[in-house]
Amino acid sequence: MNTQRVWFAFFIVFALTLNFGFFWGEIDNPNHHNPFEFFLALVVSLIATVLKIGDRSHIGAVLLATSLVADIQLILAAVMWGYSAQVIGEVSPATMASIVSLAGGAMLANVTSVILLLSETLQLKR
Amino acid sequence: MPQAPRTVSIKTATPIWLLLVELRTPLVVLILVYAISVLGLVLIPGMDDQGQVWHVSFLHAFYIVSYTGSTIGFGEIPYPFTDAQRLWMLFVLYASVIAWLYALGSVLSVLSDPAFKQLQHHRRFVRRIQSLKVPFWIVCGYGGAGAELVRFLAEHGIRCVVIDGDQSRVDAARLSELPYEIDVAHGDAGQPQVLVDAGVTHPLCRGVLAMTDHDQINLTIATNTRILASRVPVYSRSEKDSTTRNLLSFDVEVVIDPYRIMAREMVQMITKPTAYALYQQLVDPTICEVPMPPKVPAGHWIVCSSGRCAETLVDAFRRAEIPFRLISPDPLRTGGVAGMVRGLGTEATTLREAAISEAAGVIAATPDDGDNLSIVLTAQAENPALFLVARRNRPTSEPVFAAGPFDLVLRMGRILAQEMYARIRSPLLHQFLVQLESMPEPLVQGLIHRLQGKRVNPEAQITHFSITLSANAAPGAFDWMAEQPLTLGQLLIDPDGSTLPALCLLVVRLTGDLVPFPGDGFVLATGDQCLIWGESTVESRLDWMLGRRDLLAEAQHRRAASA
Repeated sequence: MNTQRVWFAFFIVFALTLNFGFFWGEIDNPNHHNPFEFFLALVVSLIATVLKIGDRSHIGAVLLATSLVADIQLILAAVMWGYSAQVIGEVSPATMASIVSLAGGAMLANVTSVILLLSETLQLKR
Repeated sequence: MPQAPRTVSIKTATPIWLLLVELRTPLVVLILVYAISVLGLVLIPGMDDQGQVWHVSFLHAFYIVSYTGSTIGFGEIPYPFTDAQRLWMLFVLYASVIAWLYALGSVLSVLSDPAFKQLQHHRRFVRRIQSLKVPFWIVCGYGGAGAELVRFLAEHGIRCVVIDGDQSRVDAARLSELPYEIDVAHGDAGQPQVLVDAGVTHPLCRGVLAMTDHDQINLTIATNTRILASRVPVYSRSEKDSTTRNLLSFDVEVVIDPYRIMAREMVQMITKPTAYALYQQLVDPTICEVPMPPKVPAGHWIVCSSGRCAETLVDAFRRAEIPFRLISPDPLRTGGVAGMVRGLGTEATTLREAAISEAAGVIAATPDDGDNLSIVLTAQAENPALFLVARRNRPTSEPVFAAGPFDLVLRMGRILAQEMYARIRSPLLHQFLVQLESMPEPLVQGLIHRLQGKRVNPEAQITHFSITLSANAAPGAFDWMAEQPLTLGQLLIDPDGSTLPALCLLVVRLTGDLVPFPGDGFVLATGDQCLIWGESTVESRLDWMLGRRDLLAEAQHRRAASA
C-alpha cells in the first residue's frame, strides 16, 4: 500500500465530506451551519490542492482544476462571512444563504474530484 | 485515445510547476501550522477590557497569526491576551516562523539548483527565438571559426543564434561584444530538438551553419535540417573528402573544406599575389584598406605538414606546378612525394635536407601551434630571407602569432569564417571570387589602381556591397531606365556631380550572364545585380540616388556642367 496515495485520497474525500456536512441544513439558518466545520473544510481543501500539484497526466490537471474551483468558492464564502460578521456586525439570513450556496458550489467541484479519483482507481488493474 | 508522439522537449515544461512540486511538503506544513494556530486562538477564551469572556473571531485569529508568522508582530490586539492565549501564542510564534523558514529554504534551494537555472535559461532562449522579428542564421559550434563568423556577420547587421555543447564556449558567446544581445543555446547541435529550439523551423531562419569540429556532427546537422526544414539552406564544414561527397549527395548548399581553402589561398598567394590580396580584402570585413600584394620571392617552398593538410597542399602545389619539398613525419596516403624528408621540421637538419638555403619560403602547417612556431623560428635562423608562413590552430595562440615575425599566418578558424561570410554576405561576391581565380594579374592590378585613382578620402574604409536595379530596390534608376539607357559611369557619381570612389566588380544579368569588371560605358539593364567595391560612404549615397530619379538627373546635369 502506498502511503502517499492514502493521504491523497484521504484529503480529497475528507474535503468533500466536510463540505457536505457544512452545506447540509436549512440554507439561511446559521444554526445549521457550523463555522468550525467550514474552517476545516477550507483547510482540508487547500491541502488537497497542494497534494494535487505536480501530476502531469491529463486527469491530474483536471483534478487540480476542480480543487482550485473549490478553493475559490470557499475563500469567497469565508470573505463574505468574515465581512458580514465583523464589519457589518451581523449575519443576515440572506447573507447566510449566499455563503451556504457558495459552499454548495464548492461541494459540486469536490464531488467531481471524487468521481475522477474513483474512475481513475477503477481503471487500475488489480 | 492514441497518444500523440511527444515533440516538445522536456526542457519546455513550465518551471513554476517544477518549483511547486518541490514545495508540496512545505506548503502543506505551512497550511497545517496556520490552521492549527487559527483554530487554537478561536477556541481559547480571551478577556475584553471589561473583564468579560471574549472569543477571538476567525477573522481576528487569521490576522493575528498572519502578523505573528511573518514576524511583523503588531502586539496583542484588540485586547491584551490572557495567560492561556499567551501560552498558545508561543506555539504559534515558533511553529509559524519555522514553517516559513522551511518553505523559503525550499524555494531558495530549488531556485539555486543548476538544473533549474539551466531549464529557465533554455525556456527564455526558446521564447526569445520564437518571438524574433528579424532574419537570423543558426551557427552550430562557437569555436574559433564560429566566433569569427558571428563577429563578421554582426558588422553587417546579420544576426546569429549560437548552439554549442561546451559551457565555457557558451559563456564566451554570451559575453562577446556584439551590437546585439546574442542568443546562445547550450546543447548538442546534433540533436534535432536542439535545432528546433534554436529556430530551424522559424520562418525567418535564413540558414544553418554547421561549423562544429566533428564531421559526423556536421553531417547530422545537415540531414536533420534537410528533414525538419527543407527550405532552409545548410552551409557545412567538412574536413574529409568522404564527408564532402556525402553532404553533396543530398544537395547541401555549401560545403567548405578548410584545408582545400587554405591550399587554394596558398597557391593563389604564390602565383597571383595581387588577386590574393584583393580576395583577402573582399572576404575579411576586418581588412579595410586597399589590398597590398605580398612580395613573394622565387624558389621552392618547404611544406612542413602531415596528414590531410599535407595531402591537400601537395595536391594543390602539384596542380599549380609550384616547386616544393615536403617535410612530414609519415608518408602520405595519397602516394609518395619525390624528395620528401621524414621529420617534423623543428630541427635544423631536416630543414637543411630540404635545401632551405635556396628556398623561397617555409609553410609550417602542422596541427600543433608550438611545433609551427619552432619550425618558423628555426627556418628563419637558417635563412633570414625566407617568406614565413605559419598555421595557427587554436585561437588562444593568437598573441604569439600576431607578434611573431611571420609574413603570413594561416588562421584555420578565420579561413573558414571568411569563406562562410563571403557566401552569406552576397551571392554576387562568391561568383566574383570564382571569376577572380582565372583573371590575369595585370587586370587585377589595373583594377586596384583605378580604385586608388578614384579615392577622395584616403582614411576611409574600403568595403563592398551589392545593388539590384529592380523597381522595388531602385525605383529612381528603374524609372530612368524606362526612358533612356543608363551607363555604369552615370550611376557611379555623387549627387554633386563628382565621381564616387567606387568600382563595379561584377554585373549579373537576369539571364544569369556574368560581366566581370564592366567599364564606365557599360549599359545597365533592369534586373541587373551589381557588386560595388569602394569607400564605405558610397553605399548610403548610392542608395539615395537609386531611389530618386530627380537626383540621378540632377547629378548628370552637374557632371555635364563641371566637365
